[in-house]
Amino acid sequence: ILDDPDLKDIDPTVLKHCHAAAATCILEAGKQNADISAISTCLEDCKLDKERIEQFCTEYQKNKDALEILLGSIGRSPLHITDVSWRLEYQIKNNQLHKTYQPSYLVTLNVENSDSGSHPDISFSCTMEQLQDLVGKLKDAAKSLERATQM
Amino acid sequence: KLNIGVDIIQHGVEGLVYLLTESSKLMASIPFDKEFGISEVDFQDSIHVLGFSDELNKSLLQLYLDNRKEIRSILGELAPRLPSYHSLEWRLDVQLASRSLRQQIKPAVTMKLHLNQNEDQTAQVLQTDPATLLHLIQQLEQALGEMKMNHCRRIVRNMK
Repeated sequence: ILDDPDLKDIDPTVLKHCHAAAATCILEAGKQNADISAISTCLEDCKLDKERIEQFCTEYQKNKDALEILLGSIGRSPLHITDVSWRLEYQIKNNQLHKTYQPSYLVTLNVENSDSGSHPDISFSCTMEQLQDLVGKLKDAAKSLERATQM
Repeated sequence: KLNIGVDIIQHGVEGLVYLLTESSKLMASIPFDKEFGISEVDFQDSIHVLGFSDELNKSLLQLYLDNRKEIRSILGELAPRLPSYHSLEWRLDVQLASRSLRQQIKPAVTMKLHLNQNEDQTAQVLQTDPATLLHLIQQLEQALGEMKMNHCRRIVRNMK
């Protein structure tokens, strides 16, 4: 904003105040999920004229959804799983034991931290039975979700 | 009690341990038992060269036969491993509001993944959204399906 040629005649401090005020107003409206009439009333109390209120509200409506998504994504949460990769291997021998002949799965969960964005992946190995147990539990969770959405 | 030096006993024990673990570890060619290590015949042949008495050879063989399964399972624990799956707990959460946004409906699945690493158990709290959960299920079901495919079956069958 400070570099905008249209605004170069205005005192930068005033510009900053305006920007902060507008941002605060928009964020509060977004946070509270305020409707147009509430915003209009609020702006009327601030002695803005009708034309400006209308312009503000139109712009707000256009960007409301994006604003909600942005506000909703702020905040702490546990490590978030974004993806999974797996590998099926068949062990033949190791230095302690020959002829082991065991299949096993190696599962890697890609996770994201809400703060820093990336985090080392979580990897673990499991047998076929264990993987079946894991998938069974995940399916239970999914079924629960489905039932909850139908309530 | 045996009236022999400590060193000799220590060597004796070490020798026995080596004999038993190596025998349990290796699998000689036919006839062999996949579960149990080298066959009786191979074991007998191997210790014969040591020149012990027949009675001693028989005792050693018996010792080997009695313990090989357990030795193999203990040796199996020593191999390098990644943390292994133990169990999973889950619950459904719906976020209704936060400091930055009121009036939300944000469903999430929160999970506690229990893993074992060398006798320690760790628990990790993780979260995911419904869409990713379905993706996870689909991917892991595909993984399970692989074991049943012909390719895997052929390899398991032929590598014995």
